[in-house]
Order: sequence, then C-alpha cells, then structure tokens
Amino acid sequence: MTQVGFFIDVTKCIGCKTCVISCKDKNDLEVGRNFRRVYSFETGEFPNPRLAHLSISCNHCDKPKCMENCPTTAIYKRKEDGVVLIDHDKCVGCKYCEWNCPYEAPQYSEELGRMTKCDTCIDLRENGEEPVCVTSCPMRAIEFGPIDELRKKHGTNSDIWGLPSSTITKPNLVIKK
Amino acid sequence: MNDWSLLIFTIAIQAAIGSIWMLWMFQFKHKKKTDQEIFQLFKVPLIVIAALSIIGLGASFSHLGTPSNAFNTIRNIGSSWMSREILVTGMFIGIVVVACAWALYRQRISPWLLFGAGLIGLVDVYCMAAIYTNSLVGPWNSIYTFMSFYGTTFILGSVLAGALLTPVLYKQKKDLEAKQFLNIAFIIMLSGVALQVIGVALFPTSMQEINMIGETVETAILASYKGMIASRWIISIVGIALFGYLTISTFKKLYTRLMILTLLLFVMSEGLSRYVFYLLGS
Repeated sequence: MTQVGFFIDVTKCIGCKTCVISCKDKNDLEVGRNFRRVYSFETGEFPNPRLAHLSISCNHCDKPKCMENCPTTAIYKRKEDGVVLIDHDKCVGCKYCEWNCPYEAPQYSEELGRMTKCDTCIDLRENGEEPVCVTSCPMRAIEFGPIDELRKKHGTNSDIWGLPSSTITKPNLVIKK
Repeated sequence: MNDWSLLIFTIAIQAAIGSIWMLWMFQFKHKKKTDQEIFQLFKVPLIVIAALSIIGLGASFSHLGTPSNAFNTIRNIGSSWMSREILVTGMFIGIVVVACAWALYRQRISPWLLFGAGLIGLVDVYCMAAIYTNSLVGPWNSIYTFMSFYGTTFILGSVLAGALLTPVLYKQKKDLEAKQFLNIAFIIMLSGVALQVIGVALFPTSMQEINMIGETVETAILASYKGMIASRWIISIVGIALFGYLTISTFKKLYTRLMILTLLLFVMSEGLSRYVFYLLGS
C-alpha cells in the first residue's frame, strides 16, 4: 500500500481560504460544513509578533482515532492508498468521530444524517487529476501524493504551534514552518 | 449546546440504575414481607423506572442522524466504548422491562432480575463515562467524568426511589419502614454528592493539553458559566437540606409534595451539572 498524505507550506500560505472555498464548491457543502479549514494562529509579542495560517483537512492518519472509536465500523482505511473513508451504509450519524479527531475532519451532514469528510477527491484522482485544494491554491502551498515522497522532499515535521501533537494519531501530513 | 438528547439519555438511565438498586435493597432488607406486599409497593416504581429507561432509549435514538442503522452500533465492541455502552445499556433496559412485565404478569417481584439489572447498570455507568474519557475532548478526559456519572446515579436513584416508595409506606402507616428507607436513601444521596465534590476538587489536577484544533481552554469555558455552576450547587444544597428535613421531621401533611419537590430540585441540579459537562465538549 502506498499511503498518501498532504504537504502544507505555512511559510507560503497567506490565509486566503481559496482551498476551503474550492473544496466546498467541489463537494457542494452548505454553510458550516467544511472538509478543509484554515486556522490562523498568533504567536510571539511585540516587537516580534507572528501570524501563521494553517490549512487542514483529514490527514488520513496511520492511527485514526475516529476509526478506532467508531461504534459502527463505518470509518475505514482504504487498502490501496490508506485514505480514511466513511461507509454510509453503516454510519449511524452518532457524531462520536467528531470528538475523536484532533483535526475536526469528520463533519456532520444534516441532510444525509451521516458523517462526511475529505476523501482526497477520489473521483478527480481516478481521472489523473489532483485534489481541488491543491490545484486551486494560488500560493502553491498545498501538495498531495505518496507520503514517503513528500517526506523525502520536504522533511518529516508534522507539528506546529496551535496544532495538537502528531503523536496522538500519526497524521500523514508534512508541515513546513 | 446541541447535546440535549444525550443529557436526557444519561440522566434518565443513571436515575433508573440507581433506583433499581434502591428497590433491590428495600426488598433485601424486608425479606419477611410477602410477595404480594412487595409487589403492591414496587408496582408503580417499576413502571416508572421502565418508562424512564424507555425515555432514555428514545432520547439516545433522537441523537442519531440515521436511527435505521442503529444495529450497526454494536459492531465495534473490540475497540469502541460507545459500542460497549450501547450493548450494555440495551441489556439494562431489556432486563428492566422484563422485570416490570414479569412483576405485572406474575404479581410478584423477581429479586434476581432487579439484582441483574443493577449489576449491569453499574457496568453501564462505567461504559457511559468511558465514552467521554476516551475521547479527545480535554475536559472530559478526567476522573471527574466517572465521579460525576456515578454521583448522579447515587443521587437521583436514591431520591427517586424515596419519592416513589416512602409516600406509599406512610399511607400504609408503616412509618418506621419509611423512615429507615429514607435514612438509607439520604446517606446514599450524600455519598453521591461527596463523589461529585471530590470529582470537582480533582478536576483542575487532571487538566489536559489541548488535543483538538478548535478546542477552547476549559477554564475559559467554565468562567462564562459561573452563574449556572453556582446555581447548580445552591439548588443541590437546598435539596440536601429539604431531604434532611424530611428524614427527621414528623410533619406528614405535605410529605408527598415535599418529597416530589426534593426530587425536582435534584433533577434540576443534576441537569444543570450535565449541561455544563456537555458545554465543555461543544
């Protein structure tokens, strides 16, 4: 299995949220449901304040707590590429995965009565395209691909101030800070 | 706060579990009573407890987005505390309903069914608390969750059983039995309050690092609900004082009304406590 993941370049991100909007548009998400979100963290003090923007979706973790604690086994890791998906035939809409994801990835759909989340734009990828957040980013701050390749290219860091520790779920995420 | 259904579910089931234990204790202490006497005393309490369990079940279903998939929730017993809790809660409600139906059909109580339901109920309270302590919501990941849930079981169980049994005992002129049961209920209620007080005292020592990206520091959340937290404890203290008065007083005229008022006070204080609990995770 080739595990896939995301690379986020915090030094490039300007917090424009184009990735959020393109994801909402592609997945037809109503107000309040966002598979990708941008969090802004303020650190430091005058005269050295710092503002960092971090674009986050599901990190398709090696140890997904949402999957471990899902009572229905609806959440599973796809064998081919380790993408974490939700089987809607099993999901009961209990929202317990919301309390078990450090990244707020599972999002409840009132219309479906079930949980939904980032699926790495599987349909686009099957046509040889990239996830829409990657192609829409004007700063080219997001990359997607086999996590081994991303780590070889950008290093292995997946922690940044403001983000919960990567030891909790072992996210397939590389962050340049 | 979007978790009203869970608030109703946890409070109703915990009250049912506590009062089942109280009924079992009463019949254990009065083994010399005939089956018919116990049945006449327990008939209404058992119907109320079964109804409460079913209300709890209904509330838990209303929390689900797709209740038609409810049977899937017991597929992950191996690693999900929610699966375990759903299975054990189902067993508890099943036994309570069977105990109630058995009593109404046979005109006698089965102490073994009460004991079985009580035992499974205690395991159920543990599973309910473990759902929250095993989540990534920091404020729930503490011993306070266990203390609070067992505390509610003791408090509401004893006061509910007291409110259901003692007015009937007084009506039957069995004042001594009523007083003895009320004393036991009062001590159990106080133990429940003590558990919660210890839990609150330990709460700051178990504060977690932020485990979720959008999480707010718990002290900041609690600070905005000072009034509600204070009201919860004031109502509890009024409830304890009223319950204490009823255990020592010989004034019988308004007894039933005052006992129901005591129950309402504790339902309100436990409801407020649980409301703040769910706010910590929202």
